[in-house]
Amino acid sequence: MRMNTYPDVIVIGAGLSGLTAAWQLAARGHRVRLITKGWGATHWHSGCIDVLGYFPIGNTPPVSLPRETLATLIANMPEHPYALVGIERLEAALDAFATLCHDAGYPLHGSLDSQWLLPSAVGAFRPTCLAPETMMAGDLSRHDREPMLIVGFERLNDFYPELIAANLIKQGHLARGTLVETPTLRRQKAINTLVLARLFEQATFRAEFIAAVKPKLGKAERVGIPAVLGFDNALAIKAELEKAFDRPIFEIPTVPPSVPGMRLHRILTRAIERAGGDIRTGMQVVAADTKGDRVTTIWTEAAARRVPHHADTFVLATGGILGGGITTTYTGEVREVVFGLPVNAPTDRMAWLYRDVLDERGHPIFRAGIRVNSSFRPLDGETPRYTNVHVIGTTLDGCEPLRERSFEGIAIATGFAVQDALPTTNHSTSA
Amino acid sequence: MRTIQTEVLVIGGGATGAGIIRDLAMRGFDAILVEKRDLTHGTTGRYHGLLHSGGRYAVKDPKAAVECIEENRILRRIMPHCLEDTGGFFVVTPWDDPDFGDTFMEGCRNAGIPVEEISVAQMLREEPLLNPKISRCFRVPDAAADSFLATRLNAESARAYGARIWTYHEVRDLMMDGQRVIGAVCYDLVHDEEVRIYADMVVNAAGAWAGKIAAMAGLDVTITPGKGVMVAINHRVLNTVVNRCKMPSDGDIIVPIHTVAVIGTTDVKVSDPEHFAIEPWEVELMLDEGEKLVPGVKEMRILRAWAGVRPLYQETKAVDTRDITRAYTLLDHETRDGVSGIITMTGGKWTTYRQMAQVTVDRVCEKFGVQRECRTHLEPLPGAEQHGGYHWLGARFADVERRQAYGDLICECELATREDVERAILEGDAKAIDDIRRMVRLGMGPCQGGFCTFRAVGLLHRLRQPDVEEANAALRDFLQERWKGLLPILWGQQLRQERLDEFIYLSVLNVDHLPGPKATRLAPVMYDPPTGEAPQGRV
Ligand SMILES: Cc1cc2nc3c(=O)[nH]c(=O)nc-3n(C[C@H](O)[C@H](O)[C@H](O)COP(=O)(O)OP(=O)(O)OC[C@H]3O[C@@H](n4cnc5c(N)ncnc54)[C@H](O)[C@@H]3O)c2cc1C
Repeated sequence: MRMNTYPDVIVIGAGLSGLTAAWQLAARGHRVRLITKGWGATHWHSGCIDVLGYFPIGNTPPVSLPRETLATLIANMPEHPYALVGIERLEAALDAFATLCHDAGYPLHGSLDSQWLLPSAVGAFRPTCLAPETMMAGDLSRHDREPMLIVGFERLNDFYPELIAANLIKQGHLARGTLVETPTLRRQKAINTLVLARLFEQATFRAEFIAAVKPKLGKAERVGIPAVLGFDNALAIKAELEKAFDRPIFEIPTVPPSVPGMRLHRILTRAIERAGGDIRTGMQVVAADTKGDRVTTIWTEAAARRVPHHADTFVLATGGILGGGITTTYTGEVREVVFGLPVNAPTDRMAWLYRDVLDERGHPIFRAGIRVNSSFRPLDGETPRYTNVHVIGTTLDGCEPLRERSFEGIAIATGFAVQDALPTTNHSTSA
Repeated sequence: MRTIQTEVLVIGGGATGAGIIRDLAMRGFDAILVEKRDLTHGTTGRYHGLLHSGGRYAVKDPKAAVECIEENRILRRIMPHCLEDTGGFFVVTPWDDPDFGDTFMEGCRNAGIPVEEISVAQMLREEPLLNPKISRCFRVPDAAADSFLATRLNAESARAYGARIWTYHEVRDLMMDGQRVIGAVCYDLVHDEEVRIYADMVVNAAGAWAGKIAAMAGLDVTITPGKGVMVAINHRVLNTVVNRCKMPSDGDIIVPIHTVAVIGTTDVKVSDPEHFAIEPWEVELMLDEGEKLVPGVKEMRILRAWAGVRPLYQETKAVDTRDITRAYTLLDHETRDGVSGIITMTGGKWTTYRQMAQVTVDRVCEKFGVQRECRTHLEPLPGAEQHGGYHWLGARFADVERRQAYGDLICECELATREDVERAILEGDAKAIDDIRRMVRLGMGPCQGGFCTFRAVGLLHRLRQPDVEEANAALRDFLQERWKGLLPILWGQQLRQERLDEFIYLSVLNVDHLPGPKATRLAPVMYDPPTGEAPQGRV
C-alpha cells in the first residue's frame, strides 16, 4: 500500500484482536492501516489460545468440553462477546488462525471438543484450547511411569523447575526438576528468556545444552523446558533435541517476555504485511474528529508531532484497562480514551474491587467494557454512538477474560468476526 | 508446649522493643524479645520515614522538640547508613500564616534546633517542583530514615550480644504470682504451639498495643491509637523533606525515601490498634494537601497507601489526639499500680526510640539493683563503619553496578539481587515473602510484586524446600499483602499495572488453581473495609 492512498479501515491497537482484525481485513482486500502504541499482550501471553478455561468463573474444575460449556455461556450471557460471535464463527476464527500458523511452520493443535491441561511455570494445570506443537508433550492427561524431567537454567530468574516438579507431584504426577549450565551461559552477564531463545537458534549452543542435559535424563519419559526454543524454527529445534534425547520434550510458557507469544506475533504481523496492510507503531491516538454519527479522522502523536489519519471505518482494539484503552481516575471516572465511548463500569470506586486479591468472582472494575451491538458498533443506550466504529477484543463489555481464561479466544474471535460488519470491498488483493 | 527462663522479656518488635533489647543485651542482661508477627509489623513499619529535627514540635511541644534534636544528632552518628541526609524545609504556602514563620524560628532556637531562613529562589533551585507561590522557607536538619533496616540492625546487634529474638510469637497472656508478673504465655504462629517464657522482668514495648498487654496483668493503661494514613508517589518529586510551616496538621509533610516520595499524614482516633480502615477521604486529603506543596502531584502515579497508629498514652481523656503530648512515658507499675515484675514504655516517636530504650533499661537496672552504663549512643549499629556515611539514592544502583549484577535482579524496581534475596531467605530466617520484603525492599516499587513475587517463591522453595503447598500459600499471602496497600489507591496507571499482574498470575501461571490452602497463618492482617463516609466536620 502506498503512503498517499488513504486506507478504508484503520485498526487501532495491535494486541491479538487488532492484529487478527488487520490480518483478516487485509486478506479480504481492505486497505488496512494498523496504528498502535505498543504490542499489547502479545509479548506477555502464554502463546496458547485459551478459549474458555473456567466457567462459571470461580469454578474449580476446568472446562473439559468447551463446545458444550460455550453453548451454556451463550445461552446465559447474551452480552458476552462469544454470544455476539457465536460458536460457528468462533470455530471458523480458530481454524483460520490455526491454518495461518500451520502454514508458517508452527502448527497449533486442539479444538472446541477437548481441553488441554498443560503445566504452567509454577506447575499448575493450565486449561487451554489451542496449543503450539512445542508444548504438546506436556499434556497432563497422560501419566508417566517414570518421573518427567523439568529442566531449568542456572541464573534464569523466571523458571524454577523444582517448584514445578513439586506441584506436579502434589497433583499426582511423577516429576523431578534440575538446573543446568553450559560454557556459553557461564559467559553471559544476564540470562533471560530472550537471551536463551537467541542462543537456541545456534547449533553450538544446542550441542552444549544436549551435553548438559543428557547425563540427567535417567528414565524420564519426557522433558519439560522453559519456552525458549528460538523464535522462528522452534519445531526444527525441538526435533533436534528430541532426537538427541530420544524422548519427547515440551515447552512451558514463562512469565513475560514470552517467546511463544512473540512467535504468534511475528506470524500475524508478517501475514498483515503480506496482505498489504500497513503497520505503524509507536503512535498514540490522541484525538478524533467526528461528523454526526461518523468518525472522520483520528489524530496520532509520535515524537510530539500530530498527524491526522482518515478512513471510512475504524476498528477499536485497544485492550480495555489492561491495554490502556480504558482509563480510570480517582474520582471514579472510567473513560474510553480514543472516542470517549460510554463504558459500562461501576462508577462508585468503592465497588471496584474485592478485598481478596484472588477473589473468585473477579474484581468488578476489570469487567469495565464497551457495550456493542451484533455488528460491534459501540452503543450509547440502545443505539450505536458511531456508525463507522467497531469495537473488538478484551475492551468489550460482558466478559472477564482473565478469570474465564478466554483472553486469546475473545481476541481472535472478535478480530475475525468484525469483517462481517464491514462493507465488502472491491479492491483487488494480493494476499 | 515449651518453657523457657530468662532475665528480661521484651514484648514488641518495633523500634522501641528492638532498641530496648539491644540496650539490655549490651548491658549484659539475658533477654528475649517476642513479636507477634515480623519485626516492624506495628507502627514502626508503617510510619512516615522522617528523622525529625524537632522542627515539627518546636512551637507546640518544646519538650518533644528537644528530645528529637538530641536524638537526631546521635542517630546520625550511630546509624548513618539507615538515614538519607536530605535536610528539611519548613515552607509557608498561600494557605498558611506567614507570621508563623517567626514563631517557628524562635521555637527552633529555644529547642536548640539549627534553623536558617533561605530565599524562595534558593529553595526553588534546590527543589524546582515545589509550589512557586511559597513565600518563606526555613532549613532544618530533618532526614529520611529506613525503619525496617534500623530495627533489623538493632536486633542484629542485640543478637550479637547474646539476646534471643523470636518473631511470630504472640503474647496471649501474662503469668502472675499474686501481684507479680512472672512471665508470658506466647503462641508460636509458625509451629502452632504454646511457649511459656518465665522472666524476672517483663518490659511492655507493644506500642499502641501496650494497653492490651497491660490489661493481661489487670493493669489499666489507656492508649488512644491515633491513625495516620500515608500515600507513596511513584516519583522522587522532592529530595528534601518538606513540611508546611504551621501548627502540625493533616497531610503537611512530604518525605522522599528510597525511590518514592511519601505524603502524610492524618490523625484519627480509632478504638483498636489492629482494626481500622483507610478511607477514601483520607487518601484524597493527602493528594489535595500534597498538591499544595507540589502542584501536579495529584495526577502522578500512586503506588500504595498504608496506615499506622500512634501510641498516644493518656491519663485523662483528651479530645483531639494531636493535643496529647508526643513525649514518651515510662510506667513503673510497681509504684503506679502495686504490680511488680513489669514496666511499660510507650508513646514517643521513632526518632526518640534510643532514648526511650535507654530510660527503660536504666529502670530495669534499678529494679535489678545493678549499675551498668548505657552505651547505645556510642556504639554504631552493625554495618555503619563498612558503609561509611549516609545512605544515598543511587547507592543500590551503584552497588548493582559494582557487582555487575544487572542480570541477577529479582526485583527490578527496587534493585534487589538474587544474592540479596537468597541471603534474606537463609541468613535472615524469613518465614514469609513479606519478611523478605522488609529485608530487601522486594516488591515495594512500581509493579508492587508483579514479577518478583513468583521469583521469591521459587527461590524460597529451592533453598528451604518446604512442602510445596506452603510455598503456594506463601505466594498467595504475598499477593494479598501487596493488595492490602493497593486497594485504597487503585486507579489510573496503577490499576492497569494490577491487571497486568493478574495477567501473569492468573492467565500465565494459574496460581489460583495451585494446590494448597488459600492463605497461611502468616497471611497479612487486612485493613477494615472503608465505610466511604466523610468524617464529621469534613467535606
Ligand atoms: C502515621 C504515623 C507516622 C509517623 N511518622 C513518624 C515519623 O515520620 N518520624 C518519627 O520519628 N515517628 C513517626 N511516627 C511515630 C513512630 O512511628 C512510632 O512512635 C514508633 O514507630 C513506635 O514504635 P514502637 O516500637 O513503640 O511501636 P510499634 O512499632 O507499634 O511496635 C509494637 C509492636 O508490638 C507488637 N505486639 C503487639 N501486641 C503484641 C503481642 N500480644 N505479642 C507480641 N507482640 C505484640 C506489634 O506487632 C508491634 O510490632 C509516626 C507514627 C504514625 C502513626
